[in-house]
Amino acid sequence: MPGLVSDSGDSLVPFSTEPLPPPLYRLRHAPRPPHSRIAISWARGNCLRVSFFTNPSPPGDQSGGKVVEVSVGSGELHDVQRRRIAYGSVSPFALLQSQKNSMAALAGMGVGSSTNVAEWWEHVMAFSDDISSLLGNPKRATRSIIEDEKVVLKGCQEWVCLKVRLAYSLVQGYGDSEKHPKNLTWVSSRERQIFYGVGLISSVRRGVSIPLGVSFESFNNVEVPTCLKAAWELIEIFYAEKQSQAWLPERLVDWLASYDCLLSTTEGTVHSKLVDLQKELATLQVIENDQKYWQGISSALAVGWLDIVVKLLRLHGSYQLDQLGNRETENGLVEAIAVLVSKMPRMRPKLADGTLGECFNTKPEFMKAWERWRGQITKLECSAFWVQCEHNQTREGLRKLLQIMLGNTNSIIDASFNWMELYVSHFLYIKPFTMGLEGMDSLAQKCMQLKPSSHSHELMRLMLGIIGENTEVVLAECSRSFGPWMVAHAIELLTIGSSGAETLLHEEQYNLGGISIEELYRLVYAQVLSSHALTWQASEIAPVYLMSCATQGTRLLEILLYKQPVQQNQILLKTLEICRLYELDSISSDIMKIAGMRQWKHGRKGSGVFWLQKAQDEVRLNRISQQLFDYVGRSISDNGFKQWEGLIELLGQEAKTVSGLDFLHKYRDFKKSLQQITDGKASDAARQAVESLILLMKNPSTPQKFWLPLLHDSVSSL
Amino acid sequence: MAVVVEPSSSDLQIHRLPQPKYIDALRWLPHLSALDTHIALALHDSHSAASSIEIHALKTPPNPPSLDLQSSWTCPSRVSSLRVSQTPQKPLIAASTFDGSLHFLATHPVNLSIQSDTSIEEKGFHVGPIWGVDLLGSGGECVTVGEDGRVNLVTVGESRLSYRRVFDSEGLVSYTAAKWASPAEFATGGLGFSLQWWDHRKPGGAVSQFKGGWGRGGSSGIVHSIDIHPSRKHTCVAGGSSGTVFAWDLRWPEQPVVLSGIGTGERENTSPSESEVWEVQYDCFVHSSNISNVSSSRILPVMMCSEDGILAVVEEGEEPAELLAEPCAINSFDINVQNPSTVICSLEWESVAIITRQ
Repeated sequence: MPGLVSDSGDSLVPFSTEPLPPPLYRLRHAPRPPHSRIAISWARGNCLRVSFFTNPSPPGDQSGGKVVEVSVGSGELHDVQRRRIAYGSVSPFALLQSQKNSMAALAGMGVGSSTNVAEWWEHVMAFSDDISSLLGNPKRATRSIIEDEKVVLKGCQEWVCLKVRLAYSLVQGYGDSEKHPKNLTWVSSRERQIFYGVGLISSVRRGVSIPLGVSFESFNNVEVPTCLKAAWELIEIFYAEKQSQAWLPERLVDWLASYDCLLSTTEGTVHSKLVDLQKELATLQVIENDQKYWQGISSALAVGWLDIVVKLLRLHGSYQLDQLGNRETENGLVEAIAVLVSKMPRMRPKLADGTLGECFNTKPEFMKAWERWRGQITKLECSAFWVQCEHNQTREGLRKLLQIMLGNTNSIIDASFNWMELYVSHFLYIKPFTMGLEGMDSLAQKCMQLKPSSHSHELMRLMLGIIGENTEVVLAECSRSFGPWMVAHAIELLTIGSSGAETLLHEEQYNLGGISIEELYRLVYAQVLSSHALTWQASEIAPVYLMSCATQGTRLLEILLYKQPVQQNQILLKTLEICRLYELDSISSDIMKIAGMRQWKHGRKGSGVFWLQKAQDEVRLNRISQQLFDYVGRSISDNGFKQWEGLIELLGQEAKTVSGLDFLHKYRDFKKSLQQITDGKASDAARQAVESLILLMKNPSTPQKFWLPLLHDSVSSL
Repeated sequence: MAVVVEPSSSDLQIHRLPQPKYIDALRWLPHLSALDTHIALALHDSHSAASSIEIHALKTPPNPPSLDLQSSWTCPSRVSSLRVSQTPQKPLIAASTFDGSLHFLATHPVNLSIQSDTSIEEKGFHVGPIWGVDLLGSGGECVTVGEDGRVNLVTVGESRLSYRRVFDSEGLVSYTAAKWASPAEFATGGLGFSLQWWDHRKPGGAVSQFKGGWGRGGSSGIVHSIDIHPSRKHTCVAGGSSGTVFAWDLRWPEQPVVLSGIGTGERENTSPSESEVWEVQYDCFVHSSNISNVSSSRILPVMMCSEDGILAVVEEGEEPAELLAEPCAINSFDINVQNPSTVICSLEWESVAIITRQ
């Protein structure tokens, strides 16, 4: 962007001065050139209106030009999804606000605050869960077994099926050993090798693919994870999950497992490498000879995807029945590593289904187990069996895995592709005892130096803001990368448990016109909502957010309400309903007046009178009554009276309070009676007619111009 | 807020199916076999400002409910009211629009694809939006009423439509709802909670008027929907502003029976809603078996949906039973005539909700 000041390093939010590629939008129904002029203006919402003007055409040619609208869609989400998120987040947001208000009221009365704080954490967590589930559920696929597209021939398939059955029966006999590898001791692995060698593994290789975290969900037509969801979860981990502070590193491991696929830059990711490997697995004959196989395992191990490591290791050729005899040592080593990987101690309360490792809740227990586990690895590393292992690639590959588990920085750097992955590996193997945010920022800086990247991903920037404990940067990143929705909702999480952030966000800022940052972002979001008919149009979404803005919300809501269209009854009624909900009576009556005058001017007199009556607008009713009398004088004939009936009913008895319209009522009664007289009915009617006439003559509101017709009517009835 | 009877969760199955477009109206289509159920949706795409009528097959339990698009028809203007004839051999969809046009879609009886469409779009038909449309049971005749105060009777022929003007108030009165009572009679509703009874054999205006004798001035409202039970042709039930649902019995025309509503003044009614009641329909599910035993002056149970997100059944002298309480408006609903336990409704937030009662 020309003229943009460069980032001198002291700016609040770090920004890059490199120009971003301009987004391109394709016009689908644009007319063919030449055009003499093109005009571009904003239409509703995110639409740009592009008007094409053709050259002055010869007379008779009708084509004067064309107007097309192009939606300046942004980011990964479609408008429909965006609206769905907007709809879904209203209730959690409104609930949280009301909880906040009631707690503030309690605090004002001096009711215990310590329980309140705990309760508030729960409320915020529930809010975060609601929002999170709204953004989709791309959790790790625990059983994403999909058919390989390159399944071997049919005959073989039967063979495989048979083997799988056999294998399953073995599993049953083994006390569900496949699910709980830790039940198997190191000594009994010989038998395990036989059981695996029988066919489960080969069947896995031939017919069934390995689960790779979230990756294959997209292939299975399950929701693809979005950056929005990933960002929300990241904020949730660091701000809202009070309990998780102790096992923050493990939460990051999980987070990366779910969203690594989003971090793809030019450097690639562990996820993308594993996807490539997965594609090749079916074609490779002897996979352990392939370097990619070992690289894939190393990478998966580095970021802690232990289940994938074990699955891949057991595809090793030495497990095959015909190979077992002469590759015994090699196979023993592979299995040894697999068992060690699956027994890795982890500082976390529990593991999701299908993930491996041993959980420890407290730090002392974890440290003890960690030392023991490391001891086993060191022992294996020094083992004499390596010399006997004749297969070069296997030996090297396995030793590299050991190095990663021992925390060798270089091996870890080799195995990871970006600094986030390296960062997570650090927590897993180099700094396993990290707790809380302590030292996280400097470690991130170190990882970024080790794995420099030309392009900074939005999630990485957000991460840096969070671990740098800089609320303003986090807000700026949220706003810049994920839009107003994200900021308006994430603020609820940012303020919890941090009085500094709370002061920053809730303090009224002079340079913001006396509103707080929180209110500012809510106003921005509400304006975005209001720009779209559906999220405004009495879906009551924008008003909910506006009413949570103490200083300027109501005023902005009033302005927006005035701008709503009154042409359509339904939309008008929905607007009035918002006025009723928020007790904006004067706005409501103004809108009714606008609607009433519009209806009146468009010839729908009944409707006009109805709305003006509802607005109790005496002045206008008086004014239009004069026009009505003119109209009545012209059109009321004895047979045309039916038309008036409805309007007069609408005016009702109460009409006397409003202007001279009650005259119509009496006039109608008089006419009715006259009609009955001419129909030759009872003398009662005549008496009534006389009464009506007297009433009419006495009434000061009877317009002068009706005196003559009244006289005429009376005389004729005599 | 009024007390409402909460249904136990086991009695109801509720599924919400988000749609990519705003739903203006929805109806069940009559079906020949019990296996296939279809619904007609009048949709509006806010992005392209295009309106359409779509027919969807509804997958029901044991499958998780889902909607499958079967056929679609582009509507020149936004649909204001949608009706379907209850004739499984020849299902006919009538749709009126905000631009004053009326469209008929003939559907195939088996796969319910749209076979043909005929329209009245001429200027003289209605000026401005048509608010109410109703098809006579067999689909041969159709009444339309509008903001312009016209009441038109449309005869649906084999290939063409013809209409005649029953009444024209020239804008002095606007009508908002219409419903047939018998092949010759129909009722309409309008502003100020007014109702009119018409007999198209008697020209020159409504044969009877209900004056909406309460809620004058500031608290007056609009009738949005009316219904007439086939076995109780003398009673017309209407729903409108301020959570109002009332019944008008032609035999006692001066005394409406208020089933729900605030601000009625005379007696305290429990009202499930306080805002616009967008649609009312007799609920044939509750008393389907012993309808003949109920006194003819007693008002049968009525289902209503409202702007404040309530779908409930109200009954004379009973507490209202709430079926659904949504955070957004419920704009329309339809009870499946052939299987009254299932109800579909359209939610403001671009969703269809399917409710199955046990």
